Amino acid sequence: MSTAHNDHSHDHAHSDESHGAVHVHVHPASTYYKIFAALVIFTLITVGLSRIHLGDWNFFIAVVVATIKAGLVATYFMHLKDDNRFNVVLFFGSLLFMGVFFVYTMNDTQHRGQWDDSYGTRVSADGEPAPGRGQADAIKLDPNAGQGAHGEAAEHH
Amino acid sequence: MSEASADGHEDHGHHGPAFLAHHFTTPAQQFDAAKLGMWLFLAQELLFFSGLFVAYLVFRMWYPDAWSVGSHELDWKMGTVNTLVLLFSSLTAVLAVRSAQLGERGKVTMLLLVTIACAFIFLVVKYFEYQHKFEAGLLPGHYFAPVAGHTHANVFPPGTAAFFSVYFMATGVHGLHVIIGIGVLFWMVIRNQKGEFTKDFWTPIDLVALYWHLVDLIWIYLFPFLYLID
Repeated sequence: MSTAHNDHSHDHAHSDESHGAVHVHVHPASTYYKIFAALVIFTLITVGLSRIHLGDWNFFIAVVVATIKAGLVATYFMHLKDDNRFNVVLFFGSLLFMGVFFVYTMNDTQHRGQWDDSYGTRVSADGEPAPGRGQADAIKLDPNAGQGAHGEAAEHH
Repeated sequence: MSEASADGHEDHGHHGPAFLAHHFTTPAQQFDAAKLGMWLFLAQELLFFSGLFVAYLVFRMWYPDAWSVGSHELDWKMGTVNTLVLLFSSLTAVLAVRSAQLGERGKVTMLLLVTIACAFIFLVVKYFEYQHKFEAGLLPGHYFAPVAGHTHANVFPPGTAAFFSVYFMATGVHGLHVIIGIGVLFWMVIRNQKGEFTKDFWTPIDLVALYWHLVDLIWIYLFPFLYLID
């Protein structure tokens, strides 16, 4: 037993310590300042563009800008650029499966009540009522009632 | 027998730095294993949040008008401030890791405390937003009962309640992550002050920073999706 341990220790003694140390490239702080500046600029761009009416393009642009920002955070702040490639694969793997989740779900929810040619059936119109919906009809508030309440409150003061 | 193995463990300790756990051969192996574990956790986090994003997309496709009306009830200025606060906290978090890599203990503590301060600012802004939504009756699901005079819109199309369900779930779960983040960041401050980290060993700070960046990453999507709908 003790001999085995000695042999084991012997192996350790032979292994080059410098090879086992953690080596990372320490980036200059200015790199991170530049990334932060880019993130702020992209945030202001996305806020600015949201004030302009571009129809469906608004959502598309918001997704693209957010993805650029997320890419900068993941690449530089989360060090994926210098990281073990396997961690990069993990990260994109989870995104891939998010995509599968999105596409398959939307393929159901966007085709409810439609005729399905390939199966010769109609897709169920409603499916299960969504628990979060909680409101089947429009709610109309009386704008005067609101102002009236404010007016009364003002009188009390 | 038991004495022999105990000696064996002590032997192990002599062959590596104190921070090296006995089941790892080298610090580099330990570092890679820790990072892999953290990335697995982060991948799980992304999949966890993806459920909320799917709910968002499905309801948005079903009730585009409700999404527009609901979004306009949110304060985009507060959302923008919170986005900038979180981005800045991500900067200070990554700078804390950098200082840890250089063995600058005092700077690490300072930068972690700034990150924590940003997290608190974020939660305070969120508190005021939530308070307004509660007063206006803009609540999730069947609690949705808008109060006249407290809202921008006077007509709420079907599904506006669903918008606030998604809003509260997404920002609530994200806010919970911010609170947990404050906890683990404080933990790092304490361990750093105890002198547990050196320029050869700063893995825990790196992992906590990764978590904090993920919280930022989620918000990068939540912000335009909730606050900036045309």
